[in-house]
Formats: sequence, C-alpha cells, structure tokens
Amino acid sequence: MSDAPRTDELPDVETVPDRAPRRGPRLGQQADVAIQGVFLSAFLVAIIVYFANRADNFLTADNGITILATAAVIGIVSIGQVTTIISGGFDLSVSGVVPIGSVLYALLLNDGVSIPAALGLVLLTGCAVGLVNGFVITVMGVNPLIATLGTMSIAGGVALTLAKGVSIPFDDVDADALTRESLWGVPNHVWILLGLGVLVFGLLRFTVYGRQLYAVGGSPEASRLAGMRTRVVTSGAYVLSGTLAALAGAIISSQLLTGVAGAGSDSALQSIAAVVLGGAALTGGVGGITGTFVGVIILATLSNGMAILQVPSFYQQIATGAVLLVAVALSRLTQTLRNR
Amino acid sequence: MTQEHPVGDPPALRVEAVRKSYGPNAVLKGIDFELRSGEIAAVLGENGAGKSTLARVLAGSIQPDSGSLSLGGRPVQFASPRDALRAGVAFIPQELIYIPDLSVAENICLGNLRGSRYFSTPGRILRQAAETARRFDIELPLRMPIARAPLAVRQKVEILKALGRDSRVLILDEPTAALTNDESDALLELTASLARRGLAVLYISHRLDEVKKLCRTAHVLRDGLLVATHAVADTPVRTLVAEMLGREPTPPDRSTAAPADDGAPGLALRGVSCPSTVDSVEAVALTVGPHEVVTVYGRRGSGADTLAECLGGLHREATGTFELFGRRHRIFRTPRAARVARVAYVPAERKTQGLLLKTDIATNLTQFIWTKLGVLGVLTGRAERRRSRALIQRFGVRCRAPGQAVGDLSGGNQQKVMIASRLAGDPVAAVLHEPTRGVDIGARGEIHGLLHRVAERGVPILIVTSDIEEATTIGDRLLIMRGGRIVDRIDRPSLADQAYALQTAGGDSE
Ligand SMILES: Nc1ncnc2c1ncn2[C@@H]1O[C@H](COP(=O)(O)OP(=O)(O)OP(=O)(O)O)[C@@H](O)[C@H]1O
Ligand SMILES: [Mg+2]
Repeated sequence: MSDAPRTDELPDVETVPDRAPRRGPRLGQQADVAIQGVFLSAFLVAIIVYFANRADNFLTADNGITILATAAVIGIVSIGQVTTIISGGFDLSVSGVVPIGSVLYALLLNDGVSIPAALGLVLLTGCAVGLVNGFVITVMGVNPLIATLGTMSIAGGVALTLAKGVSIPFDDVDADALTRESLWGVPNHVWILLGLGVLVFGLLRFTVYGRQLYAVGGSPEASRLAGMRTRVVTSGAYVLSGTLAALAGAIISSQLLTGVAGAGSDSALQSIAAVVLGGAALTGGVGGITGTFVGVIILATLSNGMAILQVPSFYQQIATGAVLLVAVALSRLTQTLRNR
Repeated sequence: MTQEHPVGDPPALRVEAVRKSYGPNAVLKGIDFELRSGEIAAVLGENGAGKSTLARVLAGSIQPDSGSLSLGGRPVQFASPRDALRAGVAFIPQELIYIPDLSVAENICLGNLRGSRYFSTPGRILRQAAETARRFDIELPLRMPIARAPLAVRQKVEILKALGRDSRVLILDEPTAALTNDESDALLELTASLARRGLAVLYISHRLDEVKKLCRTAHVLRDGLLVATHAVADTPVRTLVAEMLGREPTPPDRSTAAPADDGAPGLALRGVSCPSTVDSVEAVALTVGPHEVVTVYGRRGSGADTLAECLGGLHREATGTFELFGRRHRIFRTPRAARVARVAYVPAERKTQGLLLKTDIATNLTQFIWTKLGVLGVLTGRAERRRSRALIQRFGVRCRAPGQAVGDLSGGNQQKVMIASRLAGDPVAAVLHEPTRGVDIGARGEIHGLLHRVAERGVPILIVTSDIEEATTIGDRLLIMRGGRIVDRIDRPSLADQAYALQTAGGDSE
C-alpha cells in the first residue's frame, strides 16, 4: 500500500489547545450511572451504620475480612458476569460452571495433580464453556438466555456426573492454598478478587477491547458496520465469564476442602443481581467494575449483618430481592425525573 | 389578545415565552409565535438551533421550563405526548418510531383502536385503517409489514397515526430529509392538502426549495431565539440563509479543478453486481480518480443505494472486483473487509448504522483509530479526547465537550460526528451514502468543502445521494443510475443539469 495516499492529520491538530475544560458536564448514560453510584454508596453506608448500631462485633476489621471472604466467590463470578452484561447478554451458565470447577478441582487434586496444574485445567474448562457460549450466541445466533440456560443445565449435569452424586473430600487437607490467609491476615482468594477487579477494571476502561465491548453491547449493528469483530468481542466476554466462574468453583472447594456438585448453583442469579445493582443495564453497553463491586459488597454485607443479628436465612433471601427491586426502581425514578 | 386579526378567531396555536434548558445549556430562550389554521409555517435554523426541541415541547414529549401554549385560544399544558395528541397536536418526529413486525394497518391503528377497549380483530383493524386512509385521501399497502415498506410509506403511516379525528396542528420535523424527489413531492402535496382542510402545519426543514413551494411564513430560529418571521413569498432565499447562519453564506467551495487523470484511477469498480428484490445492481463499472469527487444519483430502486451498501460490505451476495490504486480486491462482503482495505464507508442511517448511540462524542469520533491512538491496545482516554477536540473543530461539530453523550446532539451535528469518525481513520478512499441528510445549509457547504479538501490530498471520494441538488453541485462528475446500471454521465455538472439528470434517472417508473 506504499503508493496509497495519506490523509494525515491536518496541521491544526497540533494547534488545538488541550486546555479546554477537561471534562464537560456529565450527561446521558454516564450521568445515570453516576446517579445510581451515589445512590448505592449511600445505601451501603446506611446499612453499615445500621448494622454497626445493632451489633458491636459488626464493624471490626475481622468482620470486614469475613465479608470480603464470603463476597469473593460471587465477586469473582460477577466480574465475569458484568462483561457479558455490557456485551448485551448475560451468562446463566456460571451456575453450572462453578460446580464443575469445584468438582474438577477436587478430583484432580485427589488424582495427585499439583495445585497450579489442577487450577490451570479448571480454568481451561471454564474457558471452554465460555467459548461454546460465545459460539452458540454469536455464530449460531441463539439468544443468550436460551444459550446459557442450555449450557448451564449441561454443565450442572456434567458436574453431578463427575462427582457421581456425592461430595469429594480432599485427600490432602493441606491443599487450601487458594484460600489460605496470607499478607495482613487477608486470605488469598480475597487478594485474587481484588487483583482481578483491578485487572478487569483496566481492561474495560483503558483498552481497545474494552471500548469495543461497550460499543458492541450498546450498538451491535453500528459496531458491525464499523468493521469491528463483533463476534470475537462478544465471545471474549463469555470466555472471561466462564473462566472466572470455574475459578470461583475451585475457591469454594478450597474453602470447604471438598468438591461439591451443588456449590454455587445460585451464582447466576446472585451475580446478575450484583451487576444490575451496580448500575449495569440488561440492554447492554452500560455497566462497570466499580458499580459491580459495590453491588457485591452490598449483598454480602446484608447477608453478613443479618447473620450476625441471627435473622433466619429465608428472610435474608427476601431482603436481597427487595433491595434489588427498590434500588433499581429508585434509580430509574431519579433518571425519569432528571429527564423531564 | 387577538388584535389585528379581522376575523377575531383565536390562532390554532399560540406559543408564548417558551424556554427550555438542558442543565446549563439553554436551548430555547423565550419563543413566541402564532400559527393560524390552514397556515403552513416553516421553522428554519442551523443544526442545533433548537428546532426539534421546540417541536418536542409543542408535542408534549418534553416539558418547557416556563412559558405557555394555547390551542384555539384555550391554554393547554401537556404532560405527555398522549395529552398533546388528545388536544389535537400531531407530531412526526425527525426519527420515526414504528413496530417493525406489525403491518401498515396495525401501525396506523396503534394506540388508537376503536370499538372494544381490549379486543380487536384483524378485520376490524384493516377496516379502521382503510377508513382513516380514505378520509385523508392517502393510498397505502395496508397489509404490508411495515419493515418492508419504503420510507415514504412509513412516513405517511406516521402522519395517519398522528392525525386524529380532531387534529388541529400538525408538526413535521424534517420529513423529507431521507426521501427521494418524487416521494418528497408527494409528501408536500399531502401536506398542502391537509392544510387546505384547515390544519395548521409547522414545517421544519433544511430544504429551502420546499419551504418556498409549501410555506406561507417562515420563522427563523437561531441559538434558541426566534430572530425573524417572514412572508416566504417576498423574501429572497439569501436573506433567510443569512439570518439562519447569522452571517452571509459562503459560496460552495469548489475552487480547484481536479488534477487531470494520470491514467491510474484511485478507485475502480468492475462488474459489480448484487441481486436484490427491489434495488439490484447489475454489472456496474466506474472509476474515481485519486483527486476526484464523483457523485452517483439514482431514484429509489435504481440500485444506487445497494451500490453504496456493497462498497460498505453490507451485502454478502455482492459479486465483482475493484481496484484501489492498482491493487485488486474482491468486492467487500463484510464491513470488516472494507475497514481492512481502509475504505471509509459512511452509512445512510446514522442512528442505527452509523453511531454508537449509547456512548459519548469522543468514543464515536475515535472508534476507527483506537488501535492507532493506543500503545499496545492500552488507551488512557487522553489521546482520544485530544484527537476528538481536533476533529470537533475541523468538522465544526456544535457540542459542549467530547464527553457529551452523542445522542444529545442535534441531528445535523450527529451527522457531522459520523462523517468525522470515518474520515479520521486515514482512509485510502471514501464512500459516502447520503452524507448531508438532515444537515443545515451552512454545514452542508462545510461538509462538501471538507470532502473536496480530503479529495485534494489524493483520496478518491464517491458520494451516493438521492438529493438532486447535492448530486449536481458537489461532484467533479455525476453518474446517473437507473435499473441497476449507470445510464449516463455528466462531467463537471452544475445546477443547470438538474432537469436533465432527473429525467434521465427516470420519471416513468411512477
Ligand atoms: N436531551 C438533551 N440533553 C442535552 N442537550 C440536548 C438534548 N436534546 C437536545 N439538546 C441540545 O439542544 C440543542 C438543540 O437541539 P435540537 O435537536 O433542537 O436542534 P435542531 O435545531 O433540531 O437541529 P437539527 O437541524 O440538527 O436537527 C443542541 O445543542 C443539542 O445538543
Ligand atoms: Mg432537529
């Protein structure tokens, strides 16, 4: 293409001052997300204050770590989930992949495979499920609800088959490296959660892939016509989601020192709830890691606080649902008022 | 209140001191005017002047911050479009909304089904739609699914949908922007006949020739203020344009003649064909010199639209080859192939095909150069904002900041963002499909000028348009399509060639 002409930047490019207002008033979708962010943070502070007043062992460093530790599994799944939701779909199959991760990790360890190798294989399995999801959704054109409902069911069944219907206790009771306490008494899986959070935050915010993901999720047709590889971009989200779900399964096993075929079978609903609570829209193109993180922490704090107050667990379930509905409804209401 | 009107009857619509701001951005700064029944008044103004905002206020889809409206002398307040519709204000928005899977008849009756409140039968819907259409003397293919109907039909559907039994005011926001000449003429006729029945019409348009034909008065809006009201018949177009822009218009920029062809074309199509039920292309060959701007004009169904789409990679079934600076390619079958070959394609439909509507201006402007702006795929946002600011300036986009949501821009400014994003990518050649749809006269000249400057740098430019004025003024060469083939060519066309071009493009298809 050496003989092709170039429309290089016009000379005026360099003369444009970079001192114009750094960022204009935030408008549109961004503002909506911002409103919901403020809203949610306020809500989180409110429930923390409430629980702190009701139970004196709530607001302690130890309990903070406990909350993070219980949030880690759903948190990791949600980090994957938010990418699929930004892409305009969602991933129900995590409810089947987490169990596979759990069972497979235990089986491999009991077969004498080393921890890193076992973890690697587990991640690859999750990745494979993600690839299948991506293929079925983008190439075969199956709706994400149906596609991932199908793979969820298959994956869940495979987990049960692998486990032959029973739990699989670790032979080596010291194989809890994933969840062992390390630096500052914080368990490894919490560090993993935080590390992944930072990584995917960067991915979404500061990479070409991240930009494309938002573009494809928000305007699939325009993105395709702009020549983006929409199938690759969308599939990438499902691969990430599957991989992280499998990791979450391994973490559950490591916590329990047992592979359980029923582990985390509610993770699809929990993670979608957290992501939506965090301001993502199921219509695609909107959402982020910070919001998701707040969503995860709210759900974990609620269940931790209620457990400390000895609220029966079925009430916790009702409370979680109510919080989701009220938070999302209120934020929609503020948007409507803002747009009048 | 109603002075100086001999009859003494109140105006169909009176607008007083209407203001509307979006955040710090005052869009309407106190608008006053009146509309009499049977009158067709134009609202003119640059992109972003506030025309659509005014229309949306009148139609109840947004609420003004202050000011009042009255219909037939009765003060009204609209909390929703439904209120406005009931009070007799029909509004055809700039971008149409319809339900693609329903038939024409069902769309007409949508939300307005008579008879039982909850039940309706297909037969009854058909009868009701037919009756409505007959009442306004409009002929429509009632059973056709609306997604397959041509735009002109959809627009008529929209009008029927909006007109109730007792509509008194009809507001049309750039209704002809996407129509071909005959379709526009039909719509103008329809509008005129509705006015003769006593409807008051507010007609928003960038096409002054239509305004001349259709309207009695013209209100000129500039930066949210009504700067002038004229009787159209005794006002020269030049005055209207100057008032819209707030300055004298610059004559179209076609200073330099294209350098003579040195034999090697920049872009050459050979035997491009594409089957299609309504708009097929048959063995089209054409060349565009490295410094040339070539326009292709054709009516709907002539194959011109499909030809443009083929060059954007929108048709998998397209066949043929083309050369880019001596390099042979197969005709693009995917949009990606066009991008890889660095052929910029500006699609005709900005909202659905061209813009990433949920994101901001900077994202849209830089979407084709992300990889280039980033280092190993990492982007910080700084380079994007910087480049966006440069593009905003170069293309004269009226906005507040690169971070503003692109959906909040006026239609014409969205169009500029779309074109800018495609040309930012350093293309080897550019194909533009209806590039100035909905763009005001000033900006249209600017865009045309820009395209010429890009061409001067050695980028062959092909423009496919159904706007005869654009076709005859911007190009170094005009190709006319009819029945899927190029049937004629006019070198260095001018406005004087319009009549001939229209005739060659075929009037007998009607
Ligand atoms: N929802 C919104 N939020 C913020 N600003 C808006 C919104 N809608 C419109 N605007 C701003 O109001 C101004 C007027 O827009 P409007 O759509 O009325 O222009 P217009 O005269 O119809 O232009 P065009 O000829 O391009 O259609 C623009 O600057 C636009 O950015
Ligand atoms: Mg407008």
